Amino acid sequence: MNRQLAFAAVVLACVAGCGKTPPAQFRLNMVQATKTSAPDSELKTSWSNWSRERQAQVATILEAMFGTPDEPVALKESGLDEAKLRLAAGPVRSDIVGRKNGLYREHCVHCHGISGDGMGPTAAFLNPYPRDYRPGKFKFKSTWRDAKPTHADLVKVLHEGVAGTSMPSFALLSTAQVDALAEYVRYLSIRGETEAALFGYAEQELGSGDQLPTTREFLVDEILTPIVEKWQAAEEAQIPIAALPAGVNFDLPGSDPANRESVARGRALFLGDGGCVKCHGVTGLGDGQANDYDDWNKSIVEVTKEVVGSLEASRTAETSGMSAEKLAEHRARAEWLHAFAGVLEGDALRPRTIPPRNLRLGAYRGGRRPLDLYRRLYTGINGAPMPGVGPSGPGGKGSVADAEIWHIVNYIRSLPYDFDGELGADRPMVAKDRF
Amino acid sequence: MGKRIAGIFWSLLFLAVPVLGVATFAVAPAYDHWLPKDVSEHGASIDSLFYFILALTGVVFIATEVLLFWFMWKYDASQQKGAATYIHGSHTLEVVWTIIPAATLLFLAIYQMNAWADVKMRRPAMAPTVEVVARQFEWRLRYPGRDGTLGTADDLFLVNDLHLPIDEDVLIQLKSMDVLHSFFLPNVRIKQDAVPGMKIPVWFKAREAGEFDIVCAELCGWGHYKMKGRITLEPRASFDAWLEQKYAEQQATQPAPEAPGDLAKSE
Repeated sequence: MNRQLAFAAVVLACVAGCGKTPPAQFRLNMVQATKTSAPDSELKTSWSNWSRERQAQVATILEAMFGTPDEPVALKESGLDEAKLRLAAGPVRSDIVGRKNGLYREHCVHCHGISGDGMGPTAAFLNPYPRDYRPGKFKFKSTWRDAKPTHADLVKVLHEGVAGTSMPSFALLSTAQVDALAEYVRYLSIRGETEAALFGYAEQELGSGDQLPTTREFLVDEILTPIVEKWQAAEEAQIPIAALPAGVNFDLPGSDPANRESVARGRALFLGDGGCVKCHGVTGLGDGQANDYDDWNKSIVEVTKEVVGSLEASRTAETSGMSAEKLAEHRARAEWLHAFAGVLEGDALRPRTIPPRNLRLGAYRGGRRPLDLYRRLYTGINGAPMPGVGPSGPGGKGSVADAEIWHIVNYIRSLPYDFDGELGADRPMVAKDRF
Repeated sequence: MGKRIAGIFWSLLFLAVPVLGVATFAVAPAYDHWLPKDVSEHGASIDSLFYFILALTGVVFIATEVLLFWFMWKYDASQQKGAATYIHGSHTLEVVWTIIPAATLLFLAIYQMNAWADVKMRRPAMAPTVEVVARQFEWRLRYPGRDGTLGTADDLFLVNDLHLPIDEDVLIQLKSMDVLHSFFLPNVRIKQDAVPGMKIPVWFKAREAGEFDIVCAELCGWGHYKMKGRITLEPRASFDAWLEQKYAEQQATQPAPEAPGDLAKSE
């Protein structure tokens, strides 16, 4: 009989589960937190105590302003829609109306991470890495290079996914769900930018031992508002789209005689004024320079180089003749550098280079419409080494006239299907033969 | 006395298996947990095979489980007085229960040949209607466009939103970009693994219009659960109109007046 009871107990335990998971928490941007807290001569306590205090203070401020992953808060000044955030945030569950909640954790979190840092559990296996939303930089958008993406831009990426990367399409989610997710991405970005602004302020304005001001004037007016204003300006920051010049017809293949002149003009610009050839190569295979990084990876590469160098210098420094004061400063600095090296090891993904696109594959990350390619060419790709051929801001002048960009678009669109002998023996396979 | 209770407990527990098993099957259709609606031409032959095998295995299942219960009940150790006798076994019985299943399996193998050939061998002689490329974690689609040839400049590229015409043969060219996936159309009774490095033809003829699920039936990684697509079966005319509309969208040179929200339907 006892055995039957034990059996029943085991069955019950399996059904009920063993314990509650702890509530989800945002993680601080440790690379930035450490980078901005170099010790100075005024440091009275140990560096680790002091930096931990500062991090705790930033975390407290952020929680007050933005809430937690389970309970997001949208301040009125943030311009965020709290109802949408609640749909996307929290654990996956249904509410009373039977509506699905916790969409971010259902669809996004395993790559983009709970804090939107692009370091979810699957991130390290992907190439390219998932987007880190915290710097508030986005690649595929309809606005000027330095401007934020519009809501429609974020929705488009969610709809279509990013071809050639691990970002899948969420085209079958309802409009309300995609809207909520786009809003949540905006929320994570604004939160990340606020965090960066707080640490940046601390580095610039505060000495060791000072605390960040916690007044509403400082946090909202000085820190949050400038960030939110950029997001709100996105709708007005869309680039102008030039009318199609005569002779460009995207309904015909690029090799069509009617298009030949335009494609040839596009090719000339590709090799000449456009400067595309430098990275994408003469053949468009993306075999020009290939050892550059995007901004996200570049920041890690640069800071790693700095830390490794300083650490080496600090190790070999002659300490015997130092005064007690100098020695304390030296030790604090060494402690900081060691901590920094640890953070780079554990809190950042190993940097990856970003090779230029192979334009003969016919995979276009930001969309394949002529309009999408026009936008990529016009502003370049924000955050990536790809420069724009259009003006960098309203009223400016680009290296290629607006209408002429359409010829480059025409040429690029012909590349996956074109192999008219110009490439010689090692010509790439055309799309039809390629698996 | 306690031993007798234990004997009764275990034999009834074993009896619960066939009882609950049969009950589950009996009530499942009422709760909409039965075969999904079939809208394909060949599906009926697959369903009838399914029912035939279900009946066959069902009878064997019930017989085996009841026998198991009966032995436990009848030969409960606490109720047996005498010593147990050991026998070597029955040669005749062994032969009988080897030959009957073997003959049954052979019969099934021959009986289902036509259904198999319809789905996997008698490929219609035509160019692919669409290419489906499985990928972690989505279905990327490529239509051949107006010239009917894949790999030309007028190909139409879409994701997860498959449309196909009804009342005619359609041929899908199935590929995988990364790992094994399985292209499963429950309502068309089609399930075919997508294998990296292979182009696998899949064909069917749908009888009825409607919107149905595409699911991945092979655990393909972390996001396997989100690999859900939608297949819309529609008459040729509206299929062609849809193709034209999507192609026009793909050729856009000016921003559309509204956001690209036409795919999404409210839940």
